[in-house]
Amino acid sequence: MSSNFSVHSIDARDLSATDGLLLLVTRSLDKLKAGEILEILSDNPATEHDLTAWSRLTANRWIGTTTSNGRKSHRIEKGSALRVLTDRELDWGNRAPIVNGRFDTRDWLLGHAARIRETAIPSDGFAPRGAVVETGSSDFPFDTLDRNQAWSENAAEFYDQATTGHWDGSRDIPWAELVPLDAELERAVCQLMTFLAENEFSALYVPAKWIARIHPHFAETVLFLSTQVRDEARHIEVFVKRALANGGGLQFSSASTQTSLKTLLDQEDFLQASFLLSVLGEGTFLDLLRYIETHAPEPATREIARRTRIDETRHVHFALDHIRSALRVDGSLKTKLQRAIAERASVLSGIKGLNPLVEESLVILAAGGLSPDRLPAGTKARAELYDTMHENRVRRLVAIGFREREAEELSTLHTPNFM
Amino acid sequence: MSNVVNVGVVAYDPKVVTIWEGIKEYFEANGVPMDFVLFSNYDAQVDALLKGWIDIAWNTNLAYVKVHRRTDGKCGVLAMRDTDVGFTSKIVAGAGTGVENLGGLKGKRVAFGSRDSGQARILPAYFLKRNGIDPARDITAIHFDLDVGKHGDTGTSEVEVLNSVMKGEAQAGAIGDQYWARALSENLVDSGKVRAIWTSPGYCHCNFTVREKAGEQRFARWTDTLLAMDYNKPSDRKIMDMEGLKRWVRPELDGYRALFEAVDEFQFFGA
Repeated sequence: MSSNFSVHSIDARDLSATDGLLLLVTRSLDKLKAGEILEILSDNPATEHDLTAWSRLTANRWIGTTTSNGRKSHRIEKGSALRVLTDRELDWGNRAPIVNGRFDTRDWLLGHAARIRETAIPSDGFAPRGAVVETGSSDFPFDTLDRNQAWSENAAEFYDQATTGHWDGSRDIPWAELVPLDAELERAVCQLMTFLAENEFSALYVPAKWIARIHPHFAETVLFLSTQVRDEARHIEVFVKRALANGGGLQFSSASTQTSLKTLLDQEDFLQASFLLSVLGEGTFLDLLRYIETHAPEPATREIARRTRIDETRHVHFALDHIRSALRVDGSLKTKLQRAIAERASVLSGIKGLNPLVEESLVILAAGGLSPDRLPAGTKARAELYDTMHENRVRRLVAIGFREREAEELSTLHTPNFM
Repeated sequence: MSNVVNVGVVAYDPKVVTIWEGIKEYFEANGVPMDFVLFSNYDAQVDALLKGWIDIAWNTNLAYVKVHRRTDGKCGVLAMRDTDVGFTSKIVAGAGTGVENLGGLKGKRVAFGSRDSGQARILPAYFLKRNGIDPARDITAIHFDLDVGKHGDTGTSEVEVLNSVMKGEAQAGAIGDQYWARALSENLVDSGKVRAIWTSPGYCHCNFTVREKAGEQRFARWTDTLLAMDYNKPSDRKIMDMEGLKRWVRPELDGYRALFEAVDEFQFFGA
């Protein structure tokens, strides 16, 4: 029966079982089909004793030993027990397009790794997409499994941009150029930094929560969100450092700000959370950061606002791109997003405006202090900021696919807390 | 009488409960209700089988031989593991001892496992004698009588045999091939220090024993269900990996002949 198969032969020389013989035999048998025969040529006298025991316990059939030309020839027939329970073949032989020494993440869509499922399989767990997962692996509790929720065509590119754009909050801010400021101005800067830091905590925790819930099949999204978490960590770092660096200190955190931010963490749908946090919240923050950059009284604050704004722009673009493509596939999502804004607005209906201490600080920042001759300009700048924020929100909502009138309406429902 | 099949099992390790809960679940899922009864040693399990307190005993080879003797050969056997067929004992020897074959054992200190271990004591002694080495006269035997009553299931005495050879306390030792294969695969042994020099003829190890031959018919459905377990099915695989097999097989009773002769020769159950 088995003699119909050709014999595959390996030369184990004088290898002993614990020096690599078992590994060599195992990997050689892996290449055979059940019923095929492996011949092991060996000069080690213990081999026939060791391989008999090993074959029986691994359910491969020991055939026997013969001697030819003074060497021992041992034969094992491969058994039918699968080493790894699967009937899928491994990918092999793919090569990534490496251009000028670069392997861009979007180019890793090769073989099975390029197959994005409509619904991820819970038992694929932490296996990288494209790996062969053994049958019987445990189900993981990820609950964001649908392609339309979790997959984003351009996430890989945003991820690469983020990796390139990382900076160092300890060294890349010109901390040495800080100079003592007028006390009122310093207090305003410190209040804004306190406010920014608490907002960024929500922008860290929200994606972190979704990383834990999105199936690793949608790796690009998870990798991008991890850069977002990293970005926000750096933002929290530099905002807090700025508040502490120049003789001031951390200021007030208002109950209304906390309530507004908590509603972001409470979202139980990734698209809705991403829409509220990144499109509306971080989108609005872009204008806030530009305002701070424009009116910054010294280079450190200016550089903080500039660098954090560049990172936030990436988060906004990722979310816009992601939601726009989800809406293209499923138009009904639009109603869901509208409802998400409306519901959040009703939860936050008790909040009539921005924390007044923050609002005042925006005026003082633009006015350069509390000097009566400068205050009107500061007040005007702050009013213009609100208009700009509204206009840009409308623009982004339209870009996603809302009609102008819907966008106007939705923008006014956005939290007065900015985020 | 209830139709639940009661299987006796010796609890040589806490994992036995996990294994048998899995097997019980498997049988229930296949519409064959069964339960297991734990014993602390094989003598108690054999008594329980003979008194009819259990239907089937998951026996070592030595326990099976005992049942066979006490039923005058009227007992039956249902099945065994693929790994219970072709079981062998190995003689391992220290590298610097000059022991290259059985002849080299003469005058040496040779370690053996528990007195009720088929693979590490009774059968190696029997085979050595058949090959001209009388354990009582030709060698200095060192005995590790550990976990007596469990017929070598715990493997503790085999660990001691291998350790004593590795440490040089014994020049050679007798162990079962199952432990030897594990020691090699898990690198518990340094092949520069200890190597196998002899393999015994194959024999059979555990089996499911019933009181009477007729039991083979009576429990045919139970046996068929057992044999249908499939290593290439994830749920079955878990149980089979723990119990150390890839396939359940029909009994091969020829594989017990050596042990029958050995227990007679050493008057294991008394004259």
